[in-house]
Amino acid sequence: MHDIIRGNSTIIEGIEPLCAHGGSVRHTSDSFGNAYHWFQIDTPHELLQAADILHSQGSRLAMITAYNRHSDTGPMQALCYQFVLEGVVYSVTVPLDEKHPQVPSITPLFNNADWHEREMMELYGIKIVNQPNPRRLFLDEELDKGLLGELVPLSIMMNGASSQDLWERILQGKESR
Amino acid sequence: MSKNTFVMPLGPVHVALEEPVYFRLEVEGETIRNVDLTSGHVHRGMEALAQQRNLVKNVTLTERVCSLCSNSHSFTYCMAVENALGMSIPPRARYLRVLAEEIKRVASHLFNTAIQAHIIGFKSLFMHVMEVREIIQDVKETVYGNRMNLASNCLGGVKCDVDPKLLEYILSQIGKMEPQVEEIRDIYNTNHNVVTRTKGIGLLPKEDAIRLGVVGPVARGSGVMNDVRKESPYAAYPELEFKSIIKDGCDVHTRTQVRLDEIFESFGLIRQCCERMPEGPVTCAMNPIPVTQATARSEAPRGEVFYYIRTNGSETPERLKWRVPSYMNWESLGVMMRDCAVADVALITNSIDPCVSCTER
Repeated sequence: MHDIIRGNSTIIEGIEPLCAHGGSVRHTSDSFGNAYHWFQIDTPHELLQAADILHSQGSRLAMITAYNRHSDTGPMQALCYQFVLEGVVYSVTVPLDEKHPQVPSITPLFNNADWHEREMMELYGIKIVNQPNPRRLFLDEELDKGLLGELVPLSIMMNGASSQDLWERILQGKESR
Repeated sequence: MSKNTFVMPLGPVHVALEEPVYFRLEVEGETIRNVDLTSGHVHRGMEALAQQRNLVKNVTLTERVCSLCSNSHSFTYCMAVENALGMSIPPRARYLRVLAEEIKRVASHLFNTAIQAHIIGFKSLFMHVMEVREIIQDVKETVYGNRMNLASNCLGGVKCDVDPKLLEYILSQIGKMEPQVEEIRDIYNTNHNVVTRTKGIGLLPKEDAIRLGVVGPVARGSGVMNDVRKESPYAAYPELEFKSIIKDGCDVHTRTQVRLDEIFESFGLIRQCCERMPEGPVTCAMNPIPVTQATARSEAPRGEVFYYIRTNGSETPERLKWRVPSYMNWESLGVMMRDCAVADVALITNSIDPCVSCTER
């Protein structure tokens, strides 16, 4: 394990205060010494401030991931924004809940956020405020939003699940011939 | 849209497109004024599948995200899991991973270069490049038993060791191939038909490349240094000598030059791997699965591959997400195609080495 974890001090010192009230900060490295900085900001309101700091330092947006969080109080989601600058990965996690159900768009700052935001809107039903291009990305308009947020058993999801009905129809067709 | 422009649909099924994607071109005569892109025709829902399989089964799944970059996906996925579990793979496995990755890079870049000749209508060059590519396809088949999905990576290392006899064979095949690729590079750099069709078209200025966050040869062909192998060393790359190819021509021709020059760097890396391969085990034991999150990235032939995993202590990932290089490069077509001729659409599209199946997953 490497003792010194590299990172841009303006970014780290700028985002840390945004995680001070319920958020968290973690610094890790992998077996090759590559640095990863993990920030969980307090609320979605701080996202634009964090994105602004990352943008001012010349970071590149690499990926945004939406995921469901387990909770007894109802559906909760989170978004993990990942940026790269000089080989160091900065991850900013934004928790979403009933009190803070939506997140501002960062596409005006990072143009390449457009596809990521549109994809999580259609797959996870994430509400994004001020998205400049809120069209479907991959899925047809007829499909419901937030499909990946639903519990669909693998057996139902796979075509083979229709086997009972399907084989009965095939047998019927065969018998009628 | 002005009254002089009209809409021209291209795709999703079109003879010039390898995979389904729909372009809505606004054209004024023969000149493109605006481009809009619609994809999603082959969406497979692989991320949902990954959350229903255990960590080991997902190695096989991720190798099927893409064909030409197949090894990069299982490679980066394994690194993400190893980062999450705090595993450090043995030195021999690090070299074997680089060996497979660079063999795949040679095959991928030659395929893209061949398709360019095909689009130009230079059929004999297309066939010649594909014939030379067969040498590396034979290497894949002989060493790994497969011409496309190598199934080399596993959690904690690699599945198949490569014995000294096979390393000698790889070296001899590389020796046979290198002068032939040199000849191909010379044709692409100097042939009148190729240069006339590719030089000065599909321009992506450096500021647009940075703004759109493009990766791989598309970024490096526009003067943007972006090579994960140098930036965030992984596997055996920190111990090996190679150059990142970067050029500032910003056009189709330059992107091809970057790919062709990179093939020679890959030859060098393959040679170093074969000659310096350390002895020892090729796997390490798996650690217990903690509740954590981790990231890994690598330089696939088309550019940066990015993986993110969340584990909850069970053998099935809570979330597995990946971003492929093409995902970042598609939007650059809007810049590249503006004010170009309709006849150049397929050529410019090919210059980003697009992959629809991995974009949509």
